[in-house]
Amino acid sequence: MPGGDVTWQIALGGSGVGDFSELIPRVVEATVEIFTGMVMMEIEQDGEPFQELGTLENGITGMVGLAGTHKGMLAVHFPNELAMAITTSFLGMEVEGINEDVQDAVGEIANMLGGNVKTILTDRGYDIQLSLPSTISGEEYTFLPDNELDQVIIPFRAPSGTFFVELELEQ
Amino acid sequence: MPAIEKYIIDATLDLFATMVFLDISPQEPLVGRDDTIDSSLTSMIGLAGDLKGVLAVHCPGPAALGIAGAMLGMECSEIDDDVKDAIGEIANMVAGGLKSALAADSIKTDLAIPTTVLGKQVRTSGQAGVQRFIIPFVTPAGEFGIELQYVLG
Repeated sequence: MPGGDVTWQIALGGSGVGDFSELIPRVVEATVEIFTGMVMMEIEQDGEPFQELGTLENGITGMVGLAGTHKGMLAVHFPNELAMAITTSFLGMEVEGINEDVQDAVGEIANMLGGNVKTILTDRGYDIQLSLPSTISGEEYTFLPDNELDQVIIPFRAPSGTFFVELELEQ
Repeated sequence: MPAIEKYIIDATLDLFATMVFLDISPQEPLVGRDDTIDSSLTSMIGLAGDLKGVLAVHCPGPAALGIAGAMLGMECSEIDDDVKDAIGEIANMVAGGLKSALAADSIKTDLAIPTTVLGKQVRTSGQAGVQRFIIPFVTPAGEFGIELQYVLG
């Protein structure tokens, strides 16, 4: 798989993903909008949403917490190469390695997407506030989200790699 | 300016005295942007409201096993779901303690949910322009750290 190895399993159906069925297209739309408008990168959804991401290698994840009437978390998982390409696009200059600029860019993407998701949920009557964004990165890491919440992972293809948007939410 | 470092230290000491039964000793806060604590298991929870932030509990392997073991009252020999849940619960409860302390200062925050990350040399970072500190704690099972990044107002 381009951009580093990601092992994952596709969950077909199941109530977890089903509960998100209304939200998913709007989250996809919001993600595409951010990449087209702010990152200047063409992206598209790359396959069906699923539920378990597995271990990420040589990647960086931006995440933001959702609090208020419904608790949750939004994360965007990038392979290093794609994260650097995104940062280069934001800054207009080459980036080498996962440095502070890349961390800030990835956190900012999570923050912007979090803002869009907040709007989508407000339309549903939820009252949500966002936490501060943060990033996690490493040679090898596995996200182990809260088992009690529904979660969905949406794959996207960008020019230099595949990335994933992960949403966990009390519904 | 509320004493946020103190709130974190107090919440952690309280938690460990009442629910984890492990002696812990806070060390000088680390405040440099490049300061980190080695971690194999990190549990993070967001805070939103008058204070926006992220609290993270960073544990090297032995500390994660020691803390979970002390909390659960059993020997933990590998990082499994029980250990992961235990560290997530620590993050949740320290954040809860911070929330209560801030509420007494009329600073209202809500908690998101803990997310636990397992990895080799996991690094976390915040954004430019936010306050950030890490409180290391020494325990018989090794050192762990509680990190808070936040913006007030």
